[in-house]
Amino acid sequence: MANRMNWLQGKTVRKNTPSASHSRSSSTPQVQSTSSTIFGGGVKDPSGRITEYSSDDDQCPVCKSDKYLEKKLRLLVSSCYHKMCESCIDRLFTLGPAPCPICNKVLRKLAFTPQTFEDLGVEKEIAIRRRVAKEFNKRLEDFSNLREFNDYLEDVEDITFNLINDVDPVGTEARIAAYREANTALTLLNTQREEAYILSLRQAEEQDRKEKEARAEELRREEEEERQEKESGRREIIERLERAEGSDAVNVVRRTKRERAEREASRKGVAPGKGAQALLRARMAAAAATAATKDTPHIPLQDDYYAYEDMFVLQSTYVDPLSEAVRKDREGIMRAGGYRVEEAWERAVRSAVAGLDLWPLESDRDAFQSSHAFDPSGDAIMSAA
Amino acid sequence: MDAVEKANTERQKRWVKDQKVGEGTYAVVYRGREASTNRKVAIKKIKVGQFKDGLDMSAIREVKYLRELKHQNVIELLDVFSSKTNLNLVLEFLDSDLEMIIKDRSLVFLPADIKSWMAMTFRGLEFCHRNWILHRDLKPNNLLIASDGQLKIADFGLARDFADPGYKMTCQVITRWYRPPELLYGCRYYSTAVDIWSVGCIFAELMLRTPYLAGESDMDQLKTIFRALGTPSEQDWPGHTKLPDYVPMGQFPKQPLRDLFTAASADTLNLLGQCLVYEPRKRISAKDALHHAYFFALPYPSQPTKLPKCAAQLTAALPLEELDGNTLTGKTNRLKRKLTSPSDDTKTRPAVARRLDFTKPTPGS
Repeated sequence: MANRMNWLQGKTVRKNTPSASHSRSSSTPQVQSTSSTIFGGGVKDPSGRITEYSSDDDQCPVCKSDKYLEKKLRLLVSSCYHKMCESCIDRLFTLGPAPCPICNKVLRKLAFTPQTFEDLGVEKEIAIRRRVAKEFNKRLEDFSNLREFNDYLEDVEDITFNLINDVDPVGTEARIAAYREANTALTLLNTQREEAYILSLRQAEEQDRKEKEARAEELRREEEEERQEKESGRREIIERLERAEGSDAVNVVRRTKRERAEREASRKGVAPGKGAQALLRARMAAAAATAATKDTPHIPLQDDYYAYEDMFVLQSTYVDPLSEAVRKDREGIMRAGGYRVEEAWERAVRSAVAGLDLWPLESDRDAFQSSHAFDPSGDAIMSAA
Repeated sequence: MDAVEKANTERQKRWVKDQKVGEGTYAVVYRGREASTNRKVAIKKIKVGQFKDGLDMSAIREVKYLRELKHQNVIELLDVFSSKTNLNLVLEFLDSDLEMIIKDRSLVFLPADIKSWMAMTFRGLEFCHRNWILHRDLKPNNLLIASDGQLKIADFGLARDFADPGYKMTCQVITRWYRPPELLYGCRYYSTAVDIWSVGCIFAELMLRTPYLAGESDMDQLKTIFRALGTPSEQDWPGHTKLPDYVPMGQFPKQPLRDLFTAASADTLNLLGQCLVYEPRKRISAKDALHHAYFFALPYPSQPTKLPKCAAQLTAALPLEELDGNTLTGKTNRLKRKLTSPSDDTKTRPAVARRLDFTKPTPGS
C-alpha cells in the first residue's frame, strides 16, 4: 500500500531494491541468461531506461514460488497480461509457442515484457494507447473544423476504450482496419511530420546548448580578462611607486586608479557580449529578410473550375458497348497501366453538361434581355434564336 | 482572292518576322513581334513541303491542343497562318527554360523557389488534364520560363487527348529519363499518371540539380528506376507482370528517399514519393498534388518574379526544344541552339532558309 501511496503522490515507485538488482546481475546463469537481453518492451522513462516494478509480495501465479523464499524472483508480463516468473517462462516457452497456463492464449517467449506499473491495467492501457496513437495520428489541421476533429477524437477514445475493456473485439479491430485502409497515406505523412518535428526539436536543443556554452565561455574569458587587468593595475601602482615617478605617493595611486577605471569603462562599453550583439544583429537581418519577401500562401487552383461539380452525378457503371469488350478482356493490363474506363465516362458526362448555364455569346444575352425583358416564356428563346 | 485567303493575309500582316533563331527537323523558329504593339513573339514555321505524307504529326498535335488551352502556366498559341506552303504558329516568346536554370551553377535554389516552380508546373498540368489532354513529354527543357518568372508548359508535339473508350496509345513517348515504368513495360492503356511521374522526376532534379533517373537505354532506365526505388512487387503494383514488354529485372531493395534527399522536409519527400508510386492508379493526381500539405507548409512558394533567373538569358533563347520532333535524342538539341545571322524571310527567298545538314550525324542520335 505504501508503494501505491507514493505513486499517487508523484514520488517514484520503489523499483527493484538495490539488493534485488544486485542479485540479478550476479545471478545463476541458467535462468537469467535470457532475461536482460531477450525481454524488450516496457515503459521507458525520459532518460530511456526501463524501470521495473517489483514488490516483496511478488508470487508467481504458476509455480507459486514467492519473493520471500526466492530472492531472485522476477515476474514478467505476457501479452495477455498475466504474470509469470522467469523460470516458468523458460520452462513453458523454450520449446516454442505454448498456451498461457492461465488463459490458454498461445504465447511466445519473446512476447513477455518487464512490468513497469503495479497495476497491470495501467500497463495494458499504455500499450493499447501507444498502439492506437501510432495509427490514429490525425491532427487538427487535417480537419475542416474543430467539430470534426472532436468527433474524430471521440471515435479514437471509443476504440481505445473498447480495446482496453475487451468490448466487441472483432468489431473494433474491423474499425481499426477500415480506418487504416482509408488513411494510410495521411498516417504515413503525419508520422513523417512527427519525426521531422522531433528532429527539429532536437536540433533546436542542440543549438541552444551550443549558444549557452559559447556564452559561458565568453563570460569566463571576460572574468579572466578582468582579473588580469586588476592584477596588472596593482602591479603598475607598485612599479610606479618603486620608480618614485611623481613626488606624491597618494597622487600616483589615485592617477593609476583613474586610468584603470577609464580603461575598464571603455572596455565595458564595447565588450558586453560582442558575440551576443553580433547574434542579435544576424537575427534582425534574417527577420528583415523574411519581412521583405512578400511570399503569399499557396492557392491550389486559381479558378473555380471545380465549383460546379454538382452539375452531374457519375454512376458507378454504364452500359457502354464501346468500352465493354476492352474492359472485360484486358482489365489486368489496363489496370496496371493506370487506365480507368471511369475516366472515359466522366469525360463524356462532363462534356454533356459543360456550358449548360452559359449563354452562347455574351452579346446575345444583352440583346435578348433588352428585347424580351417582359417575356418570361420559353418561346422567346426560340424566337430569339 | 477568296475570303479565306484574305483572312489569312490579314493575319499574316499582324506579325513581323525578325530573325531566325533556330532550326529543327520539322520547323524553323524566328523571333518576331506583333506589328501593332511590338510585343515579342516566337514564330514557328513548319516545313510542309518536305513531307510526302502531309503535315508532320507533332505540328498537328501542337495546333490541335494549344488552340484549346489558355492558361497562365501553358504556352499560348497566339495565332496560326500560312505563307506559301508553310504553316506558321505564333507563340508566346519565352526567355529561358528550366533546364538552363537547373544547369546554371551560379544560381542557388531555395526550397521556396522549388515549391513555386512545382506549384506552377502542377497548375499547368492540372489544366491540361482537366481538359483531357496528356502532355507526354514533360522535362525541364519543355518547361519554359517567362521574363516575369512564370513557368509555362510547352511543346505539345506529343500531346494526346485521353479518356476515350479503350483505344490503344503508343508507349514510345516521353523522354527516357522522365518515362514512367508502365510505358517502359510497353503499356498501351494509360492515363494522367504518366505525366505525374515525369513531374516527380523534375521535382527530384530540381533538388539534386542533376537528372534523377538517368538511364542509358530503355532497359537500363528500368534498372535505374528499380535501383533507386526498389523492384516493385505484385503488391506494390498489381498486374505489372502481365504488361506486354514485361521482363524480370532482378531484385533491388528500396532505398529510402531520405538517404538521397537529406535536406528535404518530410512533406517534400512525401509528395515526391507519391509522384513516384509504381502503381499508376495510386500515383497522386495533379489536382490532389496541388492540395498537398507540402504547398501549404512554410516557407510559402516564392513569388514568380523573385525566382532565380538565368544570368545568360540569351535573347535568342527560345522554345527551341519544340523544334525537334524526336524526343529521344535528349541532349543534342543544345547543339542546334546557335545564333545564325539574320536571314530574310520567305518573301525574298522562296525556299526554306537553311536545311539541316543530314550528312553529319548529330551526336547521340
